[in-house]
Amino acid sequence: MFDLETEIKNWLRQFRRHQAFNDGGRREMEIHLRDHIEDLISEGMDERTAFNEAVKSFGEIPPMADEEFLNIRSKSIFNLIPANAMLVNNFKIAARNFWKHKFYAFINLFGLTAGLSIVFMIGLFVSDELSYDQFHDNKDQLYRVVENQYYEGQPVFPVAVTPTALAPSLLAEHPEITKITRVSTESDRFQLGDSKVVEADGLYVEAAFFEMFTFPVTKGSLIGFKDQLNAIVLSEELAQKYFPDSDPIGQTMTVNNESFIVQAVVQDVPNNSHLNFTYAKNFEHYLAGDSARSSNWGSNWLYTYVQLDENAEFNTVNEKIIGQIKAHNENSVTDIYLQPLTDIYLGEVDFTADVSRKGQMIYVKIFSIVAIFILLLSCINFMNLSTARSAKRAKEVGLRKTVGASKPQLIIQFLSESILLSIVAVFLAFGIVVLVLPFFNQVANKEFSLQLLFASEFGFKVLLGVVVAALFTGLAAGSYPAIFLSSVKPILTLNSSGFKAKQGAGLRKVLVVVQFSISVILIIGTLVVYRQLEFIQGVDLGYNKENLMYTFVLNDKAEAFADELRKQRGIQNVGGSNSHPAYIMRSTSGIDWPGKNPEEMILIHYMGVDENYLKTFEMELLEGRHFNSSDSGVVILNEKALEVMNLDDPIGQSIQAGMPLRIVGVVKDFNFKSVHNDIEPLVIFKFNDPNRLYIKYDPVDRDLAVENLTNTWNEFFPGRSLEYNFLDQDFTELYQTEQRTSRLATYFAVLAILISSLGLFGLVAYATEQRSKEIGIRKVLGASVSSLFLLLTSDFTKLVLISLIVALPIGWYSMDSWLQGFAYRMELELWIFGISGIIALLIALATVSYQSLKASNSNPAKVLRTE
Amino acid sequence: MISKNLTAASTKPIILGVLKQGKSYGYLIIKKIKELSGGNMEWSDGMLYPVLHRLEKEKLIKSEWMISDDSRPRKYYEITELGKEALSVEKAQWTKVNSVLDQIWSVEPSN
Repeated sequence: MFDLETEIKNWLRQFRRHQAFNDGGRREMEIHLRDHIEDLISEGMDERTAFNEAVKSFGEIPPMADEEFLNIRSKSIFNLIPANAMLVNNFKIAARNFWKHKFYAFINLFGLTAGLSIVFMIGLFVSDELSYDQFHDNKDQLYRVVENQYYEGQPVFPVAVTPTALAPSLLAEHPEITKITRVSTESDRFQLGDSKVVEADGLYVEAAFFEMFTFPVTKGSLIGFKDQLNAIVLSEELAQKYFPDSDPIGQTMTVNNESFIVQAVVQDVPNNSHLNFTYAKNFEHYLAGDSARSSNWGSNWLYTYVQLDENAEFNTVNEKIIGQIKAHNENSVTDIYLQPLTDIYLGEVDFTADVSRKGQMIYVKIFSIVAIFILLLSCINFMNLSTARSAKRAKEVGLRKTVGASKPQLIIQFLSESILLSIVAVFLAFGIVVLVLPFFNQVANKEFSLQLLFASEFGFKVLLGVVVAALFTGLAAGSYPAIFLSSVKPILTLNSSGFKAKQGAGLRKVLVVVQFSISVILIIGTLVVYRQLEFIQGVDLGYNKENLMYTFVLNDKAEAFADELRKQRGIQNVGGSNSHPAYIMRSTSGIDWPGKNPEEMILIHYMGVDENYLKTFEMELLEGRHFNSSDSGVVILNEKALEVMNLDDPIGQSIQAGMPLRIVGVVKDFNFKSVHNDIEPLVIFKFNDPNRLYIKYDPVDRDLAVENLTNTWNEFFPGRSLEYNFLDQDFTELYQTEQRTSRLATYFAVLAILISSLGLFGLVAYATEQRSKEIGIRKVLGASVSSLFLLLTSDFTKLVLISLIVALPIGWYSMDSWLQGFAYRMELELWIFGISGIIALLIALATVSYQSLKASNSNPAKVLRTE
Repeated sequence: MISKNLTAASTKPIILGVLKQGKSYGYLIIKKIKELSGGNMEWSDGMLYPVLHRLEKEKLIKSEWMISDDSRPRKYYEITELGKEALSVEKAQWTKVNSVLDQIWSVEPSN
């Protein structure tokens, strides 16, 4: 029986053999045929004849298809690349694969996301550290003059500060130097309304400062700054603070009871500037204070910055200026050289009296390495899981190869999978970074903002980084599995005996060892940094820093104020000085003593204190006596100074420092710089007008002490605001770089362990899944749960043990080199390494155990049923 | 019967010419050509479609599916401005060929 519809369907089916026709094309043909048949029927033909006639008239389909194919081939450039369709197809297959194996896809995705988030954050941190001082237009011509001082029997002593008279002589004698400015850091009392406020971020600068550095003027002008002795330049922030409602230009400010006139306002100094200031005074104002000042060659106390001519050769200039100080000061032991501006922030030379905004190259390096490590960990996870699960994919590969897929095609297919995964991971990681940015800022002590992330220029760099990261990660993680899987021999995979994932097992083991070694090293690092921090904070500084607060006072009232404070309840003692006990930076080589070799230059630090200072800090007197209130022209030495001076019976002898000073005592060495430094020789002068008072309070009555301090302050200094600090807080700040590192290291170590464990978890899950039948049979034959557990865990435990053997020496070596940077360092104790090993082992065991127990406890009947 | 080669060469101007008279769909175009040639041009109907598709790709014609209530949906082709230009070029060429042939055939053979 002839059925027209069936025949038309059969006829249409022929078109399907040809790629050339799409759905629309086939529909067009169908309608043509039907129109023709309808016409023929209306002419009186029967259905069968009409169909045959219409088909005959339509003609052969293959030549038509060939014609049509020519059209399609040249349809568009897009379609000229046949791989394009394949690429889309590849991504489709990848997405389906992920969906089908959610567990493994999740492990991979989680690992990559975590790894990339860390990489992004470290990237932000590192790029910010490297961006310091890059914003100055003249940055390539700007240098800071620094010193190397050479003392008998001592290592080179690098110093960041220079004498007052250096700058004019450099400018006059070396034409390569086109501009020069002296810069000293200042802190002054400003009159704000009825009260006085201490502004701590001030500078003395010369007029050239604003020409050399890029600190744009927003209001006023710097013309004539040089001759205007009492000119002051404010940052926008300070201008807003003192003149919220009016134009600050031309206004008078009272600073240290002197009048200054606001000449200009400059933009706030960016965070990534090693020089930080909120106001700048004219250096000529300082020089005018005493005519002797400008010819001072002996005292190093200010920073000198120079701008070189664009054609000047840096090394040549360095050679010319090296003896500049010696040429003008015959006793000098100091060489000078130029330090490029952009090297200052991350410079690795530990200069004495360097600026306070100082980064540490070592942390930039450490964090960069950590970032690479963590990314490596997550890539290894991907590689291991992909190759381990190759047995599952091998059949697919075998089939693809049999029907004609080439090796490059397969490699591209597997790479598309890893790239797709990493693209997703990159976006997730970016989202995570945005979410945890505030927290990260707090930990890293940075001020990254979302605006910055999305700002045009920086945002573009971020985007570029993200794309590169996605491609790199995808390629790094995917290349090995891709090559491995595409090399599978089809005959092995399609054979029912099955393909075993034994291939690549050796490399997988190596990669697991690498992962756990990295994790163990990070654990060791975390523990050592943490312990060292505890150690330096507990170091016997040689004095008691607890329960001390300090405040600045006017010199002339200091003594009376201190006397009054001592009478107050809750206050145990008050001592005065001109220095902070942890930052004694004043030093001189101008001290003479009996028996000193006049050829030798020896650097001695000095500080001035009143008669109560040593008692307030509970410093221990080894010989002689404390100062008393009527003393003058007397000094106390520290042990180190005594050793350097080599005086047999010091008490009563005199040293020369412009005038004779009689030694009345010797104090036990105490630490007066960061514990990165060794103790150096120190001479303590009797000083009658201290500007800092240190107040020892009774910890039980701390609030009462503060209250009494406030009341007494108001009696003595009405209308002036009281500012006080606690000394132990200063110490916390002194070691904040270390504390930040410690916190960051902790997070990194936790994350590294997490990523590694996750990979191990996936591997074990897969291994036990593969061996489920073997376990079933073993159980049927009488194996106990515990013996099965041991069987399953021993493989992986062995790997972790090998990682320990690899990681412990590396950890020991690297932490030992880190500790070399501290004058006071803890012993590297064995238990730290023991604990690190045990932590890694326990985590690995816990990871392995869950899967192993699950497998050991499984019901053999269930797993064997299918055979 | 007109030879295959000549048929193929004339397809383009013929289709464009048909469409210049108004938009049309595949089956109707074929029908029209067959009528005009009196059945002397040997076409297999199917070969029309690759040509239509190629002309469309060359932007000489454009197409759209039209659905009306009383018949099947049909893909209508319409000549574009570019197509009209192409047609006049073709026309000039064919006329030229035609006039050459005319002249040759009107000349009496000389002795």
